[in-house]
Amino acid sequence: MSTPEQLAIVQSKFTTGEIVVIAMEAMLVQDWLKTTRLIALVNKGSTNALVILLTSRTPPQVYSDLTIEKILPIDQDFQCDIGTDEEQKDVTDVYLNVTCRKSRTIFEMRPGITTTNLVSAIFQAIEVYQKNKNPTTDFLWIQKLTGSVRNLDSTNDRLLSAADPVIELESSDLVVSRRNIATGKSPIGTRESVVRYQMACKEDDYTYTKTLRIFIGTWNVNGQPPNAITLEQWLSSDEVPPDLYAIGFQELDLSKEAFLFNDTPREDEWRQVVAKSLHHKAEYEQVALVRLVGMMLIIFSQSSHLPHIKNICIDTVGTGIMGKMGNKGGVAVSCCIHNTSVCFVNAHLAAHCEEYERRNQDYADICARLNFQTYVPPKGFKDHDQIYWLGDLNYRITEMDAQTAKQLIADGNLAPVLALDQLEQQRRLSRVFVGFREAEIKFKPTYKYDPGTDNWDSSEKGRAPAWCDRVLWKGEPIASLTYQSHPELKISDHKPVSATFDSKVRVIDVTKYRKIHEELMKKLDKLENEFLPQVTVDTTEIIYETLRFDEPCAKELIVANTGQVPVKFEFIKKLDDTSYCKEWLSITPYTDFIEPGQKCDIKLEVCVDKRSAWKLNSGEDKLYDILVLHLVNGKDIFITVTGTYERSCFGCSIEALVHIPVPIREVPIGRIMELENNKNTSQDPYYVPKEIWLLVDRLYRHGIKTPGLFETQGLHSEILAIRDWLDNGSQDPMPGSVHSVAEALLLLLDSTAEPLVPYNLHRIGLSAATNYLQCKQVIMQLPEIRRTVFLYICAFLQELLTHTQDNGLDAKTLASLFGSFFLRDSPRSRDDRNQRSKSTQAICDRKKAAFVYHFLINDQSDFVGR
Amino acid sequence: MSAGPYNYSYIFKYIIIGDMGVGKSCLLHQFTEKKFMADCPHTIGVEFGTRIIEVAGQKIKLQIWDTAGQERFRAVTRSYYRGAAGALMVYDITRRSTYNHLSSWLTDTRNLTNPSTVIFLIGNKSDLEGQRDVTYEEAKKFAEENGLMFVEASAKTGDNVEEAFLETAKKIYQSIQDGRLDLNAAESGVQHNPSQPGRTNLQGVLSVQQGGKDSCSC
Repeated sequence: MSTPEQLAIVQSKFTTGEIVVIAMEAMLVQDWLKTTRLIALVNKGSTNALVILLTSRTPPQVYSDLTIEKILPIDQDFQCDIGTDEEQKDVTDVYLNVTCRKSRTIFEMRPGITTTNLVSAIFQAIEVYQKNKNPTTDFLWIQKLTGSVRNLDSTNDRLLSAADPVIELESSDLVVSRRNIATGKSPIGTRESVVRYQMACKEDDYTYTKTLRIFIGTWNVNGQPPNAITLEQWLSSDEVPPDLYAIGFQELDLSKEAFLFNDTPREDEWRQVVAKSLHHKAEYEQVALVRLVGMMLIIFSQSSHLPHIKNICIDTVGTGIMGKMGNKGGVAVSCCIHNTSVCFVNAHLAAHCEEYERRNQDYADICARLNFQTYVPPKGFKDHDQIYWLGDLNYRITEMDAQTAKQLIADGNLAPVLALDQLEQQRRLSRVFVGFREAEIKFKPTYKYDPGTDNWDSSEKGRAPAWCDRVLWKGEPIASLTYQSHPELKISDHKPVSATFDSKVRVIDVTKYRKIHEELMKKLDKLENEFLPQVTVDTTEIIYETLRFDEPCAKELIVANTGQVPVKFEFIKKLDDTSYCKEWLSITPYTDFIEPGQKCDIKLEVCVDKRSAWKLNSGEDKLYDILVLHLVNGKDIFITVTGTYERSCFGCSIEALVHIPVPIREVPIGRIMELENNKNTSQDPYYVPKEIWLLVDRLYRHGIKTPGLFETQGLHSEILAIRDWLDNGSQDPMPGSVHSVAEALLLLLDSTAEPLVPYNLHRIGLSAATNYLQCKQVIMQLPEIRRTVFLYICAFLQELLTHTQDNGLDAKTLASLFGSFFLRDSPRSRDDRNQRSKSTQAICDRKKAAFVYHFLINDQSDFVGR
Repeated sequence: MSAGPYNYSYIFKYIIIGDMGVGKSCLLHQFTEKKFMADCPHTIGVEFGTRIIEVAGQKIKLQIWDTAGQERFRAVTRSYYRGAAGALMVYDITRRSTYNHLSSWLTDTRNLTNPSTVIFLIGNKSDLEGQRDVTYEEAKKFAEENGLMFVEASAKTGDNVEEAFLETAKKIYQSIQDGRLDLNAAESGVQHNPSQPGRTNLQGVLSVQQGGKDSCSC
């Protein structure tokens, strides 16, 4: 976990200034349960914190694999020590005990450089704090990170509730981000790890135990071939046939060839004799065989169990010179028997009486280096439910002279001798085999005899007797039945040893497993659905009673987050639409976040203005829209918006208006639509629309001498009053100031679908702008009604210009103003305006003004006379 | 004990379509929650549900879009057909009009989905035998003529609901296996998730040995 890439992934969980000094994997020890965590030391300024992260994948590959679980500030409350817990202490693993805010956390870590570095970095951080004594405010950065962090303080509570996984699952501190689960964004491992954890918690519900009789045998054969001997006395002395045999040999072959080339005919010789000597009351098959030089381990199982023994893999560890040579060390088989993982280790530890330290070291090396690669990730020695350790462990008795020992043994008084057994002594000091158990030894030492006899070694060395050959075990529930030696087998200077056990293995009830698994999947599915973004809206139908031209009307839509996760909503486009709503509608905000339990008021404002009114009049558009309120990663809600539009002369075409002799509100909507589409026109249209005439007449009568006419803005409310006056008809005088009237006139011209000079004549019109005759020709091409209106307005403007001394108007100003209305840009070219350069636009505007200017300064009587 | 990967390897998108009141949302609810939702309000929009199923040992996540059936929303719900791997077309066996509209729903489905989209016809409310208005035989004939899978189901009793969703998934999965459905096509309605999580034991313990042997002996 110390590669720069992986460090970078961890770093990505933190912001600038928060530096991940070091990070590594460790096992969080919670009672019997060990789960993988990532622990990182994070530095900010002069403060440090130990951060515990959950990882859904080991090693983590992306940012989202990691979740910060807990942050422990390294301050006055932080304490840390290494492996002082006698119970936990084991030579192979480093235990990091961290105490912070009165809660204690234990991590189990593999020994190695990374561990060493991490531990020293933590201690350095503690020293740094001691030196600086940072105030608590220096640790505020942690709070920001802990806001969303699951609390690890309640470790015990969690274990209690783990007994009831349903509660665990539905409790609020589920490890993974529910939102991510819900949206399927959560990393591939997250859901899996939840399922795995939950299934582990429920193991008792879908497994039952089954007792297997396990036979463990070990024999140092001192390089002797089996020749004609059989091993029944050793392997089949019991009435009951074992379910499983694990038989280990040491010094199978002492020849140089075996040592150097790890090849020996003895392997098969001994294998065959073992196979022949297995209990005759049962059928056996070989499960595994592993050998390193003289150390061999064979596993046999009753044939009926074979289908339930899986994931069989082997490993060897040589602890000879340079930790390579296989004259000493261990060989091991790992497998799963039903649902219980079991490891058998056959070891031959360092020889010589005084070398118990080396034996301890060999043991530690074997523990650390055994690694079963067929598992992904590889499985270590400790990752097994049950471990059986057998072999020539070579522990001696040195604190008693050989004679005394032999005498005590001969008297059957083993206890004083056993008390001085080095293995007993070292285990009592927790220097080796921590957590292992051994049955009571009731047999004579198994070493050293004169081969072929039961006599103690009579050679010059006259070695003291010793219980070199031992069987130990670790894990629950294993019941020891027998532990004995078999002196009948005399070919070696060691006597074989056997131990039998009743071992309970967990068997999966497939039906129950499926059922519980299925239930769990359903529960997770349910969670996923429950944790989908969820909102309610106060209405799905928004109805605007009466909408009038240019008069905005707003209504509110209340969106409440009734789900369990934050929601991001947005209004989205429908198929083939260019916008998420019609142009007469505006939505604010159209996208936002809502926290659970919160709501958002969305303002929907409808305004029928000059851009949209003509579409409603012509029937091209309706005041009807279905909005799609989309919850990101969730459902969609349709909001229907409808309104009744009160028709107005604004937005009507000149062509339609001249055929309407009455106020427009007295005309049925269908009739307007007919006229807009040039159907059933009346016989006797007006020359100009009465609305234009009324407005112009009003200006002529009351505003012709008003200074700033057509230069002063009208009042919106007055314009609306003029609109109503025009649309409804009235005997009262037209309301509003002349400025409002002037603006209403321009608005009327601006609200039509097309400007007075139709779009198709614009290009010609603009290129003709400098030439009056050509301009006149363009006007001649206008449809008659438009030409009349054009000339009518120009005549009125000429009239205005005769009063320049009063109203201060000039022809250029008016030409420029009316040019922009008479030759209004099409909506499309208006969109293009941004792309068009300012100067191009200015030239265009000047040409429009020039075009109109001709008609303000020249006599139009030849036209008007018609 | 390898517990195998628990995650889904595929995501299939489904849509549920059909006239208003035929029980589309109830079918979805029955499938995801195993419950009948009495007094289910009209769907105004598109509801979203998900469930993980297993087909041929593969975990498949179904993302189900349940559309509003009201005619006025028809134009809007057409947006949702795109990219559906499966379409469940539902009618109500007690209301002939809902059956009569099937050809129009089918036209939409054919026009708006891709040729490999699996269309499954469901005659819902099979528990209301007494009020039956459409015979099984004629619906079966319609389905056969149009190459649709067909079943009569009841969102109320749960009868055949599971089957309809699962059979659709099987057919889609089959199409993938046969190569008829191109996973790389943008609108296949299927997402494949090729990553294989590591094997782990059931104890919930993910064994970790990062640096291998070398780093352990130092």
